[in-house]
Amino acid sequence: MDKHARKGPSALRTSIRLSLQYSFLYSVLSALVFALAYWFTQYEVQDWVLDQMRSDAGTLVEIFELGGDEMLVDRVDALAEVSFQNARVYQLLNSDGAIVSGNLSSTFASPLPDYLPAQDLPLAGEIHDEVTGYWLRADDVGPYLLIQGTGDHIVLEILEALGMALVVGYLAVVILGLIVGIRIGRITERRIAAISNTLAEVSAGNLASRISTAPKARDDLSRVSTEINSMLGQIKRLLESQEQISNDIAHDMRTPLQHLRQRLEKLRDSPTIRPDDISASLDQTEEIIATFNALLRIAQIEGSDRRERFGLYDLCEIIANVTEVFEPAAEDAGIELTTKVPGEQLEVVGDRNLLTQLLSNLVENAIKHCPAGSKVLVLAESTLAGPTLRITDNGPGIAREDRERIFRRFFRGEKSRNSPGNGLGLALAKAICDLHGAEIAVSENDPGTTFEISFLR
Amino acid sequence: MRVLVVEDDSETAEYICTSLKALGHVTKHASDGKQGFLDALDNDFDVIVVDRMLPGLDGMTLVRSVRGANVNTPILFLSALGGLNDRVNGLEAGADDYLVKPFAFSELSARLTALARRPPMQTEETRLQVVDLEIDLIRHTVCRSGQEIAVQPREFRLLSYLMKNAERVVTRTMLLEAVWDFHFDPNTNVVETHISRLRNKIDKPFDQPLIHTVRGAGYSLHG
Repeated sequence: MDKHARKGPSALRTSIRLSLQYSFLYSVLSALVFALAYWFTQYEVQDWVLDQMRSDAGTLVEIFELGGDEMLVDRVDALAEVSFQNARVYQLLNSDGAIVSGNLSSTFASPLPDYLPAQDLPLAGEIHDEVTGYWLRADDVGPYLLIQGTGDHIVLEILEALGMALVVGYLAVVILGLIVGIRIGRITERRIAAISNTLAEVSAGNLASRISTAPKARDDLSRVSTEINSMLGQIKRLLESQEQISNDIAHDMRTPLQHLRQRLEKLRDSPTIRPDDISASLDQTEEIIATFNALLRIAQIEGSDRRERFGLYDLCEIIANVTEVFEPAAEDAGIELTTKVPGEQLEVVGDRNLLTQLLSNLVENAIKHCPAGSKVLVLAESTLAGPTLRITDNGPGIAREDRERIFRRFFRGEKSRNSPGNGLGLALAKAICDLHGAEIAVSENDPGTTFEISFLR
Repeated sequence: MRVLVVEDDSETAEYICTSLKALGHVTKHASDGKQGFLDALDNDFDVIVVDRMLPGLDGMTLVRSVRGANVNTPILFLSALGGLNDRVNGLEAGADDYLVKPFAFSELSARLTALARRPPMQTEETRLQVVDLEIDLIRHTVCRSGQEIAVQPREFRLLSYLMKNAERVVTRTMLLEAVWDFHFDPNTNVVETHISRLRNKIDKPFDQPLIHTVRGAGYSLHG
């Protein structure tokens, strides 16, 4: 992959463009919400002003009922007097329509408007400089008509303060949103770049390269990274397995092929060919094919997914069949082959053929390495974790340092170097166990060896 | 026996046909899948050998088509694919036996002979006899010269397979597959030891041996 292509305009900005789009949407939504808040506040404050005038009119009605004409006029006079900079205006008219009290010099045309600009109001004194108009209200107080007005400066000031707060808040929201959005975009962009860098490195041949992941991260990118890492691990294992096979073939097939070639060359040059010579060559061919098939089989088991053919099989039945096959051979070798299985079925999910081969290889291995007079026991039991299969012998055992290596391809211990066999039996057993998700372990039986296979339930 | 060989590799086809002719069989060779299919429909073969990978029509499709056309001639799949599921897939497609390349001719010949003379299901016999050896497949008894011989179940299975294929050669792998369902070859000579046990009971106490070793091929039960 071209490392520079990644930094091109479209690739780099995908995440940043997305976060900008979100910021824009966010700011539009915030503007809408703030405008609504402004409008509601204005409405409520105005409502509150009108409520106050209504309640004041109520108070004056009570005063009139208590103290009559004189007290009412006095009170309205007083109210008009204390009204600072004519923030509130009053006018009391008698039943003839003449002005009795108040700070307004002339009467209004009928009907009374709800709102009048300040300059249209017949006022004696100076007006608060922030007042642009008055909300007006008329109420009957006994035989009189009371007209009240409240300057709008209080509302304007509240709205001004609110507006200022909203605008500042809005700007903060938009700017913060942008910063955070771009930052998140950058972080995401960097993480994606890390993934694509790793993949580019792998493509370039560095199979060990992995995407670094935070141990506690649980988001999608971390999950994708973890999955990519595990996929890379699997690819690496498969490639290593392929490489291993090539190496194995190179190392261990050359010798038998060389022998075969020597035999054939000798046959070509000899005047008389005996059938025995040809048979020996054919046997050698058979051996090479057998080794080759075993190698391929291990590779196929390791690389392919045979689980599609998995079924449910009784381990005891497989044991009975395999020990039956090997019983006469064991007897000829002077080895006592016994089984110990539970009365009930021990079901294992797997491939019947491969399970048979697994047990066959282990039994064969035990018979081959034990001297006459030894005992080999095949035991199966059900444990809490799942069915367990054990092949135990009291033969010479496996040297401690070899125990790790016996499952490797072509590994042959010192003692078995000169006996027939291709050194693939246990490697195949291990591959079969891996395919079945089973653990295979080898341990000392003092004397002898125990192979234990634990299947999972 | 008349054998149809559908194989595109000319050297292998030549080897199979020449070797079969040397044994007195009649062979016909088809070098691609389509020709093989047309020949198979003629229905006058005792057995058909089909390679898995063929030009024109691949082996699997060929076998399915032949079976779809109600031709029941036994078919042996010959394949360079030794994959884990290949054998099962081949048998499921309708083949009767499966042999992986590289193979020994003796193995192919023994399997073809066994396939060609496989008796139809309904005429399965319950008693088999070779010279003075008799077995009863229902009662699981073995008699030789009127004398009952006690055998273990596994020996009986081995003997009955040999009896069913009397006069013919059966190979070690055929026995492993048929008697023990082993589809791989153990390194240990397990078949030899079983045959030797059987010989001790069937042949040793009598003058005429019936179980014969066929050098480089397998065993044969005959008078």
